[in-house]
Amino acid sequence: MKQAAAVIVLFLVLAPARAAATAPESAGAILKKVDENRVTGNKVILSEMTIHGRRFSRTVRARSWIQGTEKSFSEYLEPPRERGTKMLKLGDQLWTYYPASDRVILIAGHMLRQSVMGSDLSYEDMLEDPTLHDSQQGAVSGEETLLGRPCWVLDLRALREDAAYPSRRLWVDRERYTVMREDRFARSGRLLKTAVVESVRRFGDRWLPDRVRFKDALKEGEGTVFAILEIQFDAAIPGAVFSKAALKK
Amino acid sequence: MIRFLCLGLWRDRSRSLFPLLTVVIGVMLTVVMFSWIKGFTENFLGTSARLGSGHVAVMSRAYAGERDQLPNDLALTGVQGLLERLHRDFPSFAWTPRIRFAGLLDVPDEKGETRAQGPVGGLAVDLFSPGSPEPAILDLEPTLVGGALPAGRGEVLLAHELASRLGLAPGASVTLIAGTMFGGMATANLTVAGTFRFGAPAMDRGMILMDVADARAVLDMDDAAGEIAGFFHSGFYDRRAAEAAAARFNARFASSQDPFAPRMDTLITLSGMGQFLGYMDTILGAIVAVFLATMFIVLWNTGLMGNIRRYGEIGVRLAMGETKGRVYRSLIGEAAIIGLAGSLIGTVLGLALAFYVQAHGLDFGNIMKNASLLMTTRFHTHVTAAAYVIGFIPGLAATVLGAATAGRAIYKRQTSRLLKELEA
Amino acid sequence: MITLRLALRNILGTGIRAWLNAFIISIALVASSWNQGVVAGMDEQAARAARDLEYGGGQYWQESYDPYDPLTLEEAHSPLPEELRRLVNEGKATAVLMMQGSIYPQGRMRSILLKGIDPRQHVLDFPTSALSAAGAGLPALIGGRFARAVDLARGDTVTLRWREPGGAFNAEDATIVHVMQTTLAAIDNNQAWLPLDRLQEMARLPGAATLVVLAPGTAPLSAPPGWVFRDPDFLLRDLRELVKTKSVGRVVLLVIFLSLGMLAIFDTQVLAIFRRRREIGTLVALGFTRGQVVRLFTLEGALHGVLAVLLGAAWGLPLLWLQARLGFAVPPGTEDMGISIGERIYPAYGAGYILGVAVLSLAVTTVVSLLPSRRIARLKPTDALRGRAS
Repeated sequence: MKQAAAVIVLFLVLAPARAAATAPESAGAILKKVDENRVTGNKVILSEMTIHGRRFSRTVRARSWIQGTEKSFSEYLEPPRERGTKMLKLGDQLWTYYPASDRVILIAGHMLRQSVMGSDLSYEDMLEDPTLHDSQQGAVSGEETLLGRPCWVLDLRALREDAAYPSRRLWVDRERYTVMREDRFARSGRLLKTAVVESVRRFGDRWLPDRVRFKDALKEGEGTVFAILEIQFDAAIPGAVFSKAALKK
Repeated sequence: MIRFLCLGLWRDRSRSLFPLLTVVIGVMLTVVMFSWIKGFTENFLGTSARLGSGHVAVMSRAYAGERDQLPNDLALTGVQGLLERLHRDFPSFAWTPRIRFAGLLDVPDEKGETRAQGPVGGLAVDLFSPGSPEPAILDLEPTLVGGALPAGRGEVLLAHELASRLGLAPGASVTLIAGTMFGGMATANLTVAGTFRFGAPAMDRGMILMDVADARAVLDMDDAAGEIAGFFHSGFYDRRAAEAAAARFNARFASSQDPFAPRMDTLITLSGMGQFLGYMDTILGAIVAVFLATMFIVLWNTGLMGNIRRYGEIGVRLAMGETKGRVYRSLIGEAAIIGLAGSLIGTVLGLALAFYVQAHGLDFGNIMKNASLLMTTRFHTHVTAAAYVIGFIPGLAATVLGAATAGRAIYKRQTSRLLKELEA
Repeated sequence: MITLRLALRNILGTGIRAWLNAFIISIALVASSWNQGVVAGMDEQAARAARDLEYGGGQYWQESYDPYDPLTLEEAHSPLPEELRRLVNEGKATAVLMMQGSIYPQGRMRSILLKGIDPRQHVLDFPTSALSAAGAGLPALIGGRFARAVDLARGDTVTLRWREPGGAFNAEDATIVHVMQTTLAAIDNNQAWLPLDRLQEMARLPGAATLVVLAPGTAPLSAPPGWVFRDPDFLLRDLRELVKTKSVGRVVLLVIFLSLGMLAIFDTQVLAIFRRRREIGTLVALGFTRGQVVRLFTLEGALHGVLAVLLGAAWGLPLLWLQARLGFAVPPGTEDMGISIGERIYPAYGAGYILGVAVLSLAVTTVVSLLPSRRIARLKPTDALRGRAS
């Protein structure tokens, strides 16, 4: 019931935007909607990450409990070697728990720049605040169609001088406000990383990408494919999950 | 004739003993010097092989190309089978897997929280398998600063400097964090058995030395290894044999397009020591040449003097009617016998000495007390095939040549004056 | 005195043989001096290369800099203090900024060290001037060994990626303007040299440096706060240790060479005593004590050493000098090692070493001459007179 109400509210909010589709909204407004669409209160996600290396490809499966943008807790389920590895993010701090050594280790300093499980994503990428509207600014620079969906193309600049990626370009579905593609650039404007949505799925009342390919643009290879298998919104998550004590359980 | 000459030499010691002794000592010196020089180069190579990748190393092609980046994702797989083939097809080497990796060492406090952290470079070798050549090759005992050698799984050695920087003493527990072969992150709790100092800053700053089985467990490298190091059983690098082995091995995979096919490289190409060895060879070659020339002069001189000593005897023999040619030939024959016997004995003694030093080494630890060097303070000779024959060049040739030169004086002597000389 | 004159006359009287023995010992002398000189020359050359190409007259390190820990590079930079900047402006020093970065040759990532240096500097003797080449967007200078490792040649472009101190990524294509052939791994392995001002700009660290290399021969100032001065002795420590090892080999070779000379002397002495039995008898009959005769023969033997030194000086010194002037070419190697040696080796002789070897050989010659001479003491004058050895 609650969800149905949300859909109606959302539809009402979105309706004017749809009507004015030909006249671009401001980039800020689009970003706000993007954030509203994907950054929610609580969610529990079952995801799979397939990492294509030069030689091996492997798939890591994890269940994550996420609260807003500040707190998340992930437990790895597959492959067997990785099972039981846990990761806790509280604000800008990240801890990992390794069952093999029964140790909780703070990921800090240069370790943040290491890749997560061998993927094209670094811990730092994971720590990045995913809200766009208050960290980026820019303008709509065009329209393109991706996966058959009309998209706004947004050219954005990071508001913070020390952001890892000073600028990025986003392709946002004009109706569903899902990000369909994201290119991240170096300060020089050189393309460094791409995240290309390969499929979207409707989860309850919203559309979300359920398969995204991340790639280091300077490197050859097939990158890392991140897929959402299940997602549960507004789940009740006990506060104790987001504690260091939970890591060792 | 030969028997006669031998008898003569045997019975008249003054004729034989002293020249023989000189030849023996000269040849012995030559053999020892030659082996020392050979061994000296080996000391440089040996260190490089010991802590590097052996006298020859098998790696995957992709790994070899980016070796300095420690790309364990490109490591050899199916190592057990490969090892068996190498043992069978290249039996002159001891083959042993090695893994190099980079990681982070995390030191917990009482509560298990991170107390200190530092980057480490790891070398994993086969410490515990029965019959593993590594303990003898690495010879870690002398490099120990504190604690003891690892006695079982999960025990590691740390560079002394690293250990003190992290406030670790033998017995301490540490967590190693490193990337697995498949790109994952892995950890393992290890116990510091001891600390070492090789004397090479790059290693002493942050090296962890552990058993290959432990490393495989942490790095998820089951039946894999970055490299398989091959060490000549003789302990010495034999350039030609190493190159031949590499060529033979690589020929088998020549048609393979697999970037992960194994490939064999020699110590020289791996260490980039080709040029350095070129220098060494030039200089040592010059030294050997000068030494041989000098030894030649000494022994030629001996041959010369031996005849001068027998001035009187020759006079008598000529006076009794022996022909000059016959006397001359007998002198040369005697010289040849002395040269041959001397060279044989000298070579045997020289080889014995050289073999002894090859096995036990000469310890220069006292001279080099303050040297904190990667290399050992113990120096070894290296007996090569050439050492068996090199002594004969001065030993035999020079002695005969000396006798031949001195003997020419026979032809200058006038029979009419012989008796007068004898009276004197 | 009379003994000395007699001894001298005696050995000069033997003519060619005395000179031959002296010659042999002189070879030992000259050869071991040459050997020492070559090894020292190699070491000196390596030290000189390190000085000319890397260390200069010492380096000021930003206090966080640790060459063995690349992770320190993130912190190891500060703006040049006034004192150091003055040195740099006067051309007495040059600043180097270091930063970690990645390059992507053939689509593979590889971590490297980016080093910035003033293209117009003359403190270090490698072709930084190539970096002032016009036209190249971001010029880079790399060493031959690294060029081979990553398969890059002059004129190629390669993408560099780095992070600014705040954390922002940046990337740019660099053009390889020069590949320098150097034997010094420290300026070659896994690194690229860029113009200092460009790297400072890239790193957003205007005026900053990781270290400052002092020109050789410039007197060092006391290190400004936040900087540490590393003198050449400190910087060359590893190399010096290597030299010590090689000296071991030299000692053993000297011993072997000297034994060879001694063998010659011993030989001569024994023969001389054998042949001069009658003379010994006569001397004793004339009233010489046995001690005096032993002294005479010992002196004669020892004089070989003196002759050897003279002879060695006569032929050896010009030869050694010539060798030092001309050097000798080294056969072209396939690869280089971490130690730098030029294409020609110029021996560097140590006067102390040569003198030491000369004294040593005199001492040893004397001892070796004494050994057979002691037999004289056991000789009965009557037998000796008749020419019989006991």
